[in-house]
Amino acid sequence: MLAAAVVAAAPAAVDLRVVATTTDMAALAAAVGGDVATVESIVPAAVDAEAFEPRPGDVDRLRHAALLVRVGLGYDYWLDAQINRIGDPRLTRGGEGYLDASAGIPLLEIRGQSVMNEGGHAHGVANPHYWLDPDNAVIVTAAIAEALVRLAPGQRERIIANRERFLAELKTRRMRWNELLAPYAGVKLVAYHNSWPYFARRFRLDIVDFIEPKPGVAPSPAHLARLISAGRKAQVGAILHEPYEPEDASQLVARKLGVPLVRLATSVDSVPGTEDYLALLDHNVATLAQALGAQRRRAQ
Amino acid sequence: MSDALSLLLLPFAASIAFVLIHAYFGVHVLRRNIVFADLALAQLSALGATVAFANGYAPASPAGFAYGLLFTAIGAALLTLSRTLARWVSQEAFVGILYVVATAATILVVDRSPQGAEHVKKILLGSILTVGPAELAKFAALYAVIGTLCWFARLPLLAVSSETRPAGRSMLAVSIWDFLFFLAFGVVVTSSVITAGVLLVFSFLIVPAVIGFIFSRSVRVVLAIAWGVGIAASAAGLAGSYILDLPTGAAMVTTFALFLVLAGIAKALVLVDTGRRRTNLRHAVRAVVALALALTFASSLWLIINPAADQPLAATFESATGFGPERFLSASERDIYESAGRDRVRFQNEVDRLDAKERAARYQGAPLSDEEIRRIASYQQSFNEMTRGERFVQDVLRAKARALERWFVGLPAAIISFVGLGLLLRAFWRHRSPADRDQRATSRSSLVIPCE
Repeated sequence: MLAAAVVAAAPAAVDLRVVATTTDMAALAAAVGGDVATVESIVPAAVDAEAFEPRPGDVDRLRHAALLVRVGLGYDYWLDAQINRIGDPRLTRGGEGYLDASAGIPLLEIRGQSVMNEGGHAHGVANPHYWLDPDNAVIVTAAIAEALVRLAPGQRERIIANRERFLAELKTRRMRWNELLAPYAGVKLVAYHNSWPYFARRFRLDIVDFIEPKPGVAPSPAHLARLISAGRKAQVGAILHEPYEPEDASQLVARKLGVPLVRLATSVDSVPGTEDYLALLDHNVATLAQALGAQRRRAQ
Repeated sequence: MSDALSLLLLPFAASIAFVLIHAYFGVHVLRRNIVFADLALAQLSALGATVAFANGYAPASPAGFAYGLLFTAIGAALLTLSRTLARWVSQEAFVGILYVVATAATILVVDRSPQGAEHVKKILLGSILTVGPAELAKFAALYAVIGTLCWFARLPLLAVSSETRPAGRSMLAVSIWDFLFFLAFGVVVTSSVITAGVLLVFSFLIVPAVIGFIFSRSVRVVLAIAWGVGIAASAAGLAGSYILDLPTGAAMVTTFALFLVLAGIAKALVLVDTGRRRTNLRHAVRAVVALALALTFASSLWLIINPAADQPLAATFESATGFGPERFLSASERDIYESAGRDRVRFQNEVDRLDAKERAARYQGAPLSDEEIRRIASYQQSFNEMTRGERFVQDVLRAKARALERWFVGLPAAIISFVGLGLLLRAFWRHRSPADRDQRATSRSSLVIPCE
């Protein structure tokens, strides 16, 4: 019912080329763009977006984009160098073809200063995983719809209708997601990386600690020992794990605590069954609810 | 504490297994003078596992293992070839090229099937801390089999284990033994690298064997020392990683290096006759003093030339002696400097407090609205901005203080260290007797590992 595939192949009335840095932004753009825009993403789904290295073909795709949608907050900083190289004022910050989707998002965990300044502004570094909160999709799709309408004013009605349809479906599913996770409000969890604050805020989860607090630096034995003893005391319900990160440490902690290891997807298309934005949240909510339910039944 | 002990016990047992088998291969690898062969083999087997992954097999499945083994065998064959090629290309260069190409090929394969990325990451970093009992049993069984085979084949293996082609043997026989050696070596490395990571496996392989060769030329003694030191270094590394809260693999590698330095010191200062010991001690003291003087000289010059830049040594000196930049400021400037420091801490605390408040509201009490979250975020951003401002004030004042400090601290330090260096150099040239020079020549030649 929704043309929310990563690449919307439907024949476009107007050929608006939207290029998003990640599959998540692409999925949201596809939900709004529908049959008006062709949407592509640059970083493959199951790849660490923060360590991504663009290829020559990516520069070409960026160059021909009508609209560029990025996550921002340093999550896709590789894009800055590419934009500078292309040198098209349309695609630079403030240009009509440039959209930083983080604008307007209620940001969480703003800490310290980034070494890199964004346009002379010293932003704090906020946690960039805001698309994992379904309510933030409302904000992001609004910005995308606005940008698309600006680029193709003639398609205004269709763009707005697409977004309305997406939001209506989001609202229905949002109720189901709430019902599924409501029994576990306040449950304590340990996550592999700090990817879930927005998800946790929306579904009222308490992520007490992380297996690997500094991405890329293996956890020390003292940290794991602390995690295990504190996790036992706090009665942690499950370990959250991102796909395609080494599982050994998460498995060890899960085994020692006797809790399930729950593999949740951080981006669209990174595991089977997460082909669009709603499916991504469907998958994460259902997987987590099922694991916590089984754990609770076992504990009784 | 029991958690810690249970966490460290399995990794330690695995380390013992790794040290026993790797140090043995390390002795061979050092004699053959191809220390990076393990990286090349490990990377080739990683390439095999990645290709398997791209074709839809898990690394732990029989097909995955077969792919890894196949690529390891190809690597073994290529390394066997390196002896023949040594006439034209240095063996080390050949091994290096093999490693780089295998790594690049792995990246290209991963690019086509992102699911393999996890495997590559694992091979690079390893995770000896999370080794399981089943894995450990598998290692023990595998290494026992390979160790036994190596024991039975020890004489021919030792005979071909050198950089040059051993005399009195046919090329074919040498090549077959070479291939078998590299194959066994490849299987060992393939298994260990997934658990320990390339850095740690390299340390298991090379460092204990090098320490052994420092003290002896006999293969038996070298092996005994390598095993003892390797196990001790593993225990120290694991304990250090726990006590100092450090990533285990990196801590162990550093500990192995530390043991190597200690072994070098022991060789030069403890296990020598009295006369030699005195000379060595003199050299060591002079080297340390010269290094300290050179560092002081460079740092004070840097302070004089550019007082506003980062001054790591001057900053260390200031914090150690309490003779900080405040002393070179006027009373009012000092007040500003100190209150800027206090405010920085205060603002940071505010950011942390807001963070804790937001975190708690995620799951208890009434949830914060988006507007409240935005307000918290903008407060935090303001506090961050203000912290930045205070840091700027401190930087400016510190630069001003250091512009003065350079004449009172930098200049005397530069003169003293310069004179000290001069005196040391003069003494060095005067004391360099002909006997010293002879000894240096012999010690250099003894670094070459002879073939038994």
